[in-house]
Amino acid sequence: MRELELYFGPQHLGMVGNFSITLKVEGDRIVQADANPGFLHRGFEKLMELRTWMQNFPLVCRINVVEPDHMELIYSMGVEKLAGIEVPERGKFIRSIYCEMARVGSHLFGLWAYANMLGFDTVANWAMYHRDLLLDLFEELTGARVYHIYLRPGGVRRDFPEGFTDKLVETLHKIGGKVPDYNATFFENSLFKQRAEGIGIVTREEAIRMGAVGHTIKATGMKYDIRKIEPYDAYDQVDFDIPVRTDGDAYSRLLAIRDDMIESVHMIFKLIDKMPKSGAVYTKTPNPFKWTIPKGEAYVRCESSRGELGLYMVSNGGDKPYRVHFNTPSYNHGLTVLEKALVGESVSDVGNIMISLYVVAPEIDR
Amino acid sequence: MEILKQKLSSNFNGLDIRIPGETRMIISTVKESMLSLLSYLKNDGYEHLALISCNDWIDAGKLELIYILSAYMADDTQYKEKETRNIIIKTMISRDTSKFLTITNLYNSAEPYERELHEMFGIVFEGHPRLTPLMLEREYKIPPFRKDFDTMAYVDNTFGKIPSIQERKEGMQ
Repeated sequence: MRELELYFGPQHLGMVGNFSITLKVEGDRIVQADANPGFLHRGFEKLMELRTWMQNFPLVCRINVVEPDHMELIYSMGVEKLAGIEVPERGKFIRSIYCEMARVGSHLFGLWAYANMLGFDTVANWAMYHRDLLLDLFEELTGARVYHIYLRPGGVRRDFPEGFTDKLVETLHKIGGKVPDYNATFFENSLFKQRAEGIGIVTREEAIRMGAVGHTIKATGMKYDIRKIEPYDAYDQVDFDIPVRTDGDAYSRLLAIRDDMIESVHMIFKLIDKMPKSGAVYTKTPNPFKWTIPKGEAYVRCESSRGELGLYMVSNGGDKPYRVHFNTPSYNHGLTVLEKALVGESVSDVGNIMISLYVVAPEIDR
Repeated sequence: MEILKQKLSSNFNGLDIRIPGETRMIISTVKESMLSLLSYLKNDGYEHLALISCNDWIDAGKLELIYILSAYMADDTQYKEKETRNIIIKTMISRDTSKFLTITNLYNSAEPYERELHEMFGIVFEGHPRLTPLMLEREYKIPPFRKDFDTMAYVDNTFGKIPSIQERKEGMQ
């Protein structure tokens, strides 16, 4: 049969974000896939070399549009490591609660993307509504809905407002109460199962060879999670589980994401219970205009909602970073794993597989 | 960590090994022993290539390549000390010739990283299967992530020539 070259995205209904794939197809089967990123490349890492340590925060959170909070966290962690700053106990708990809120919000957004792409509009609208409830809380806490800039080296900007944790618990109960409906209409729905089961299989060997992290490797049965491997903030003080699946297909990945979201909600309740009732939330840092950080290099990592997120940072003793390089989970998933997972699949499943790998395009481009 | 340090120093010559924290190891090496060191560490279980990065030390006239490795879990449910480690391996190459060997046959996930470094720092990775542009749409005389690339001058030259609204109005009259 004749081979045909097909351009998939960036303007395509099944494509989420500014990203494109060049497909070679034979009939409906994909023979070869070439990922083509760069539509959102803004050179953030270069721009950060020209701004002071604190000025970089507005740039940092724009690297991942869906989930800017873990980007703030990893940058703060990098600066803390280089400058040797400790976070106070209550600050650690607030950070962890905030990051878990972001994880739930991000998973709901991912659920919206997946459901919307497959035509489950009701589920998509629910997910968007529930994410909006979380955004209201973020607005109350930080003053912004999407790009919060709430974390800072040494802790968080300010303490929780009065009655915030009660509102948070109430909202999470509201979202959690909808989980049976989500299950009935989406996760257990045979229409969805037929679309997702056995699609885009990434085996354990392939995942390790391609450097997969996050749900791609969790869907093959490995409890690979930085929150457990190298606990940061308050994660070593609460008890939680890492949900895994064993099949490695799109359906397993999505169920791992759902279970992760539910686990995060439970974790927030535990964190609120254990949180110190009072105390400082940040360590004082020098005047940001005159702040210089001693020479050195650091590699820090955390678990974002998409997987292992790393940051390599170099200081040459000045008031600006000498080099910043983010290791984002979508980079491997979107470029190496996606190209492999698409081969042999049907054209109608491209968006399906891409969203199940949880690729978010700005993270690749940076 | 200390055991790994001893194993590495007995197998390789001329390594400079530092252990800055409990979980990080920084190894500086000459570029000739880079590939054998990486394959030794891969066989030792450090199968996850987290990042390949580059530093432009313009005053010394060198580019510094940084490979960051870590290990996947050997047991699916048990957490061991080995996964907490990150091994940072560094080597210097000349800034003018800027050539190095590819490691894509060792680590498949190295492919996009090497493409990106080729584009942003102008490093040619010999033996790479497709060293095509990854993100940028045009070619630059100086690769844009090098320190001598002046972003302000670039912006002025590219966008500064667009006349302001006031100038355009005056031009119309």
